[in-house]
Amino acid sequence: MEPPQYSEKDFLNAEQEMSLIARRAAQKYKVETNAMFAKLSDVTRAMSKGMVKWGQRNSVWPMQFGLACCAMELMDFGASRIDAERKGYLLFRGTPRQCDVMIVAGWVTKSMVPRIKRLYEQMASPKYVIAYGECATSGGPWWQSYNIVQGIDQVIPVDVYVVGCPPKPENLFAALMKLQDKIGGKIAGNPERSIAENIRK
Amino acid sequence: MPTMQINVGPIHPSTHGVLKLVVDVDGDTVKRVEPHIGFLHRGVEKLVETRMYMQSPSYMEKLDYVAPLSWDELFVSAVEKATKIEVKERAQYARMVLLEFQRIASHLLWLGTFCNDMGQMFTAFMWAFRDRARVIKFLEDVSGSRMFYVNLRLGGLDRELPPGFKEEGLELADYIYDKIHDYRRLLEDDPIFIERTRNVGILKLEDAIELGVSGPVLRASGMKEDVRASEPYYFYNKIHFKVPTQTRADSLARYRVRMEEIVESVRIIKHALNMMPEKGDVKGLPIKLLGPNANPDPITISRELPRGEGMIYMVPDKQKPYRLSMRSPAFANLQALSKLCEGVKFADIFTILGSLDIVLAEIDR
Repeated sequence: MEPPQYSEKDFLNAEQEMSLIARRAAQKYKVETNAMFAKLSDVTRAMSKGMVKWGQRNSVWPMQFGLACCAMELMDFGASRIDAERKGYLLFRGTPRQCDVMIVAGWVTKSMVPRIKRLYEQMASPKYVIAYGECATSGGPWWQSYNIVQGIDQVIPVDVYVVGCPPKPENLFAALMKLQDKIGGKIAGNPERSIAENIRK
Repeated sequence: MPTMQINVGPIHPSTHGVLKLVVDVDGDTVKRVEPHIGFLHRGVEKLVETRMYMQSPSYMEKLDYVAPLSWDELFVSAVEKATKIEVKERAQYARMVLLEFQRIASHLLWLGTFCNDMGQMFTAFMWAFRDRARVIKFLEDVSGSRMFYVNLRLGGLDRELPPGFKEEGLELADYIYDKIHDYRRLLEDDPIFIERTRNVGILKLEDAIELGVSGPVLRASGMKEDVRASEPYYFYNKIHFKVPTQTRADSLARYRVRMEEIVESVRIIKHALNMMPEKGDVKGLPIKLLGPNANPDPITISRELPRGEGMIYMVPDKQKPYRLSMRSPAFANLQALSKLCEGVKFADIFTILGSLDIVLAEIDR
């Protein structure tokens, strides 16, 4: 198997990526290159179409919301071994209004359901949900219990499922990259390749 | 000024579970704290009654996910006591080593989240998780799993110990011992840490005994009580270790007790690794042989868990327990919260709650 060939376009920093998106959007929406003749509405439309997804994709802020065992791995995800901050999955926020993604980590009891629903409704749109671990996915080992909801997807819509009991923090990393792909489609530098693939290589 | 009621949660500040506190405040002074529990209840005791003996350890591990191995070991020991199975000598030493490493991992996680709750922002948290990661890696090498090990079988472990178990264990114990001094320099030289913990949440000895607290919380109140020393199991009676106590009985004392316990655990690990026979089998019985000849007499067994004294009362049956009841140390420790929080400032609630070191999954069961 041949080693993959890299070009300079594959490795862009945020500034280069942003300018590339802006240039591509300007071509697509036929904005005049001379600023004197460009209509303001054209410019804003072009910018917002390209930029908003880019911004959403690159600042996925999870909510600090641990339920049970998987919350230990969630802590490890933010701690020194994995250090999620280096990829822009910033510090866990304490309030749902500042968050984009809710990571449901742990079993969901019937008394917890109205609270989870309310927290989800308090989050600003667009919002995403990751079901982290067996319990949040399907009820896990407790699926026969009388007090357990068999999967959080019976209550709120789920974007990414992570299996494992508990999944390793690396799996959460992969899940967040999958979520980024879902939000913004392809990466700017190489439109053919998704973020998850790009990181893996 | 009229009393105001504030709802805190349902969230646990250090994500050890889901807890709701209803706090009556007068200005900034706390009048009354009422913990509401039950958000994680899933009926473990009932589920275990429907499972075969060796299916249950994976349920027991999720009781206390900060130190999963300790509840696992308690349940397996209960079954061993019921079926009168002797644990192999080498396996006993190996279990001691694993349990003490589990205690260290638990206390390190407590240290990180406790400092996090008190606003000693991420330094101690990062350091504690860096060292905990090494302990977890050691346990992963032995058991094959990162968090829920389920590697205990009746009479031993599920597999042979990995090569280099002794050397790596000794090296890791030395590493932890060195790092304890770093934590002490970081925290005990910090005037803010001392101010926020000293004389906050004083639990007098008579109150402690009345409330039934155990473990480091009881020892910080001045009582020298440790199941490992008072009713030794395995080879704890062959090893010299100190039971650390403090007399101040405040949050700082509870911190000090836990730090000294890490040092004592390191000592136990080193002794146990050196005394462990080089050759010998550690494998326990395979799963399919388990449980047919259980003695129907009810048994009670207690162990020193990282959070205090845990106890299991079991009425055994042929293949599965007829009745299983548990005494959770964290449940008793949480009862002390209302007593400790009378008259403190609002911000001190989280210092006190953190210093009690509760795990909600164990309380709700």
